[in-house]
Amino acid sequence: MTTGLPTRPRIPREEDFRSRLRGPEVTSRIGVWLGVCFAVAFLTGVYSHLSQQPDPVIPLPTHPVWLYRLTQGLHVTAGTAAVPLLLVKLWSVFPKLFARPPKELRELALHGAERVSIGVLMAAAIFQLVTGLMNTAQWYPWTFSFRATHDAVAWVAIGALAVHIAVKLPVVRQAFAHDVDDDIVERPADLPASALGRRSLLRTTWVAAGVAVLATAGATVPWLRKVSVLAVRSGDGPGGVPINKSAAAARVTGLADAADYRLVVAHGDRETSLSRADLEAMPQTTAELPIACVEGWSAQGSWTGVRIRELLDLVDAPHGSAVLVTSLQPSGPFRVTRLPAAFADDASSLLALALAGEPLSLDHGYPARVIAPNRPGVLQTKWVARLEVV
Amino acid sequence: MGRVGAGRVSAGRVVLGALGVAGAAYGGWLLVQRGFADLVATAVWLGAGVVGHDGLLAPLTLLAGLLAARLLPRGWLGPAARFGVLVGPVTLLAVPVLGRFGARADNATLLDRAYWPGWALLVGLCLVGVAVGAWLEGRSGVATRRDDVP
Repeated sequence: MTTGLPTRPRIPREEDFRSRLRGPEVTSRIGVWLGVCFAVAFLTGVYSHLSQQPDPVIPLPTHPVWLYRLTQGLHVTAGTAAVPLLLVKLWSVFPKLFARPPKELRELALHGAERVSIGVLMAAAIFQLVTGLMNTAQWYPWTFSFRATHDAVAWVAIGALAVHIAVKLPVVRQAFAHDVDDDIVERPADLPASALGRRSLLRTTWVAAGVAVLATAGATVPWLRKVSVLAVRSGDGPGGVPINKSAAAARVTGLADAADYRLVVAHGDRETSLSRADLEAMPQTTAELPIACVEGWSAQGSWTGVRIRELLDLVDAPHGSAVLVTSLQPSGPFRVTRLPAAFADDASSLLALALAGEPLSLDHGYPARVIAPNRPGVLQTKWVARLEVV
Repeated sequence: MGRVGAGRVSAGRVVLGALGVAGAAYGGWLLVQRGFADLVATAVWLGAGVVGHDGLLAPLTLLAGLLAARLLPRGWLGPAARFGVLVGPVTLLAVPVLGRFGARADNATLLDRAYWPGWALLVGLCLVGVAVGAWLEGRSGVATRRDDVP
């Protein structure tokens, strides 16, 4: 796109950018959809953050079983769609970076405040998209905690977005009151005709967002698996379910397949110890439940094992008891997780021994793992060593 | 580019702005809670995003536009711009999988696709799509007149 930059090097001015495509007519329209994406990502992100708390401040439902799968799939999809939208939107406002500050003091203060708010919004928005995307591919080249930081910056981003909307609302209203091809701001009469119309640019941007989603969403939408050439996972894995953390990475190899493995179920001073054969001898239940990871991928599995509630009955734990689940893994942030009472009591919450009719693979949590409905994958604790009623 | 009138500041806008400031402040407070080392690391990444866009990506995009305007026939500029909008963002988005930076030897189910061929296929499809679109537009020139002459 022709911009007619000066030949003599100097800092460009806003007026140097000579495209009719740049301006509030296009920016407002992309902005609305970008706002929708950020709102969806924020709300689903807060829900995910809440789901990962050991004892959520708001009790979370166990049904529908696919709720977390849906919200986290939406979270990553919205973030993915936002990438083309944000890039085109930033392109459409880039000349404003070179706007000269006004001379009058009050105007200058307002100009400065808006610049700061835009700077915060841009930094936070790019940060969320970049770190979120890298997280889907389990690429962590930073030293901060991803989950806590992604949550904190989400609040900064949504807050700065609300300020931005409050400031720009009249412009957006004006843009939508006119046809996209009508100029709502004055432009020099001698601007060259664009190679692309505004409608074309917008249409292409929507298609670009769609392409980005189709190219990646197969990690969570089974019928897109063949189409999503850039998905972080093909969906393959033992029992048709991919693996998030391997037994080797969790350093449980040797512990998990030891002959003297015993599951301990404890309630106060009542304690019982069960071998894998003991567990297999108990009544078996099969449940169709998804594994839905915070990274956005998910897969449905057919899990067979002992109901957690029936294990709790062995130690006379009353209904409505939460359970601390301890893994064999020697370390890691999810070595001990808390299963809230509603989940522990749910008839489809299992201590799974098998997946798709086969004994669990070591990487899926052999000898026994938790699988409960509507829970983030990181809390579906693998290689379970101890269930303790709290 | 001229300015749009600032507009009357309604109560709704004031409330929205105030809520926004409160939300952002809460996020800032959460960040501070993480401790100094995390805060510095986060600030570096926050700043790098802005500098990376304004200092690198945006100038490169401008340069690509200037080069295209110089080198391509006038009639090709529109399709070329469309191609850029389709392929550029999805390529940036694909950097983590194309580079396989998070791949682990002990997990064959992660990053388990042939990403470069997949990307090449996607680029090819975009190219074909844009070309077909341009050809169709050329055939029914009148219908798109409005796009060409704003």
